[in-house]
Amino acid sequence: MTNSEREPVYDVVWPLSPSAAPAASLAARVTDLSGKTVGELWDYLFKGEQIFPQIRSALAARYPGIRFVDYETFGSTHGRDEKQLAETLPAELRKHGCDAVISAVGA
Amino acid sequence: MLRAAAIAERAGIPTVSIVTTPFLAQAGVVSQGLGLPALPIAEYPGVPMTDGPDAVRAKVTGLLDQIVDGLSRAVDGGGVTAAEPEPRAIVHRGTLDEVHEHFQTNLWSDGLPIIPPTRERVERFLAHTTRKPSDVLGRLLPENREATVWSIAVNGVMAGCRPEYMPVLVAVVEAIAEPAFRVEDAGSTPGWESLVIVSGPIARELQLNHGQGVMRVGRQANTTIGRFLRLYLRNIAGLRIPPGAGDKGSIGGSFHVALAEDEEAATAMGWPTFGMDQGFRRDESVVTVQSVVSVSAPIYSAGTRALDHARILAEVFGDACAYWSSIGMKYNRWQPLLVLGPSIAGVIAGDGWSKDDLRRYLHEHVTITARRAENYALQVGATSYTLEAHVKAGVLPTAYAASADPERPVPVFVQPEKIGVLIAGDPGRNQSKGYVNNHIQGARVSKPIAR
Repeated sequence: MTNSEREPVYDVVWPLSPSAAPAASLAARVTDLSGKTVGELWDYLFKGEQIFPQIRSALAARYPGIRFVDYETFGSTHGRDEKQLAETLPAELRKHGCDAVISAVGA
Repeated sequence: MLRAAAIAERAGIPTVSIVTTPFLAQAGVVSQGLGLPALPIAEYPGVPMTDGPDAVRAKVTGLLDQIVDGLSRAVDGGGVTAAEPEPRAIVHRGTLDEVHEHFQTNLWSDGLPIIPPTRERVERFLAHTTRKPSDVLGRLLPENREATVWSIAVNGVMAGCRPEYMPVLVAVVEAIAEPAFRVEDAGSTPGWESLVIVSGPIARELQLNHGQGVMRVGRQANTTIGRFLRLYLRNIAGLRIPPGAGDKGSIGGSFHVALAEDEEAATAMGWPTFGMDQGFRRDESVVTVQSVVSVSAPIYSAGTRALDHARILAEVFGDACAYWSSIGMKYNRWQPLLVLGPSIAGVIAGDGWSKDDLRRYLHEHVTITARRAENYALQVGATSYTLEAHVKAGVLPTAYAASADPERPVPVFVQPEKIGVLIAGDPGRNQSKGYVNNHIQGARVSKPIAR
């Protein structure tokens, strides 16, 4: 006699639920950073104050005319009201002419 | 951080996000939940907070090609593609042991045995709510799944709840689905755990313990409601420790059993109940959920006057909160919770003090030096944190930058009115306990229980 013959058997359902992840696509990439404007988004954690300046100078050495919009322009992305961030960030990035964004640090 | 990047991508601006190696697995869950599984990442190897300036420089140099690639050559991986079961679909057939094994293998359980969620058991739970099984109460990041009434019932079954707990479970999920709760940060490294507090008549009807051993496992309602929430966060928000991902609590803690108040004691001493403090009537049944990141030592206090107890409460609860207060100050929405033993509350109230008097005393007498607060924030990772900057930004009152003296004392509790005060525990002993919440993550949210 097998276990399943001796013991009750259960038909069980899935404990998860449908994904609510929105369908989305990545933005078109920039082929060359020369002359482009890069916005810095920082969560004000994990040494971004050391990391961003180094990235700035290294990319400036590689790409003529590249410009950066400092993270202080946008304020911390950590702990801000999510809804407010979603509402204001796109306009802020456009206002400063950002062609690309570097977001840091963490997950 | 990734959420900000996703907002920019949706606005048509390409991004790359710098993520440290230990966060890559969590980043995968977050990106998937955002609908952008191929969100470009530049990997910073290791732990920046233990890297010196030379190591940071060397590692950032190594990031540059990844940054350029992310902005110029990233490939869109598309959205969620794997087919998933319909809610009522049978996903497994087996004995109790086989079901348990199947759920463990799929990371659908918490390591403890579960009650098999059969359709029949789930239907018994659904009979205790007027909501439709397909009703969606919100969506829970980071995995970003729909918080359906059906899924609440399924996880309630698994946790060992009774069907009549269903209205409480629904209110719990309504609370954590509120944006103010920030469930998306429930997998952050402090490893905070959600605490459910049940107020009003339903706590008595469901026989929740509010007395001796209130925060121990052992009473079915307290224990299983607490377990339910941890299971629900795991399965719907996707907060799983390894071998899963999504939950980056560095050390973390186990789930809290649900807490109930000794409301008869509160009423007898003329104090509002905890539920009333949240804006509800005494006869309303209410669920409150808030984060707990650490717990104080047991606070024994003796004496016949309010001040006798307030002094030691300030010392022990204050010490428990002191270091984490720097993070509380960073956002100024901190909501620690003080669970007063009934005998202690009786003396304080009997001496004519209100809860607000006690809160005010704690605010005035619990301080930390600016140097300790700023230094600890730096250790956590807020490498540019100063109290002065937060005063300038309007986050903190000017008193926090009253001088440049690093040894100046500043209040640990920025807003005394946000200190929760609740009466529970052993009426036959003189003990209280403090629960430190995780600043804006897991903010206190209350929901009425619909029946």
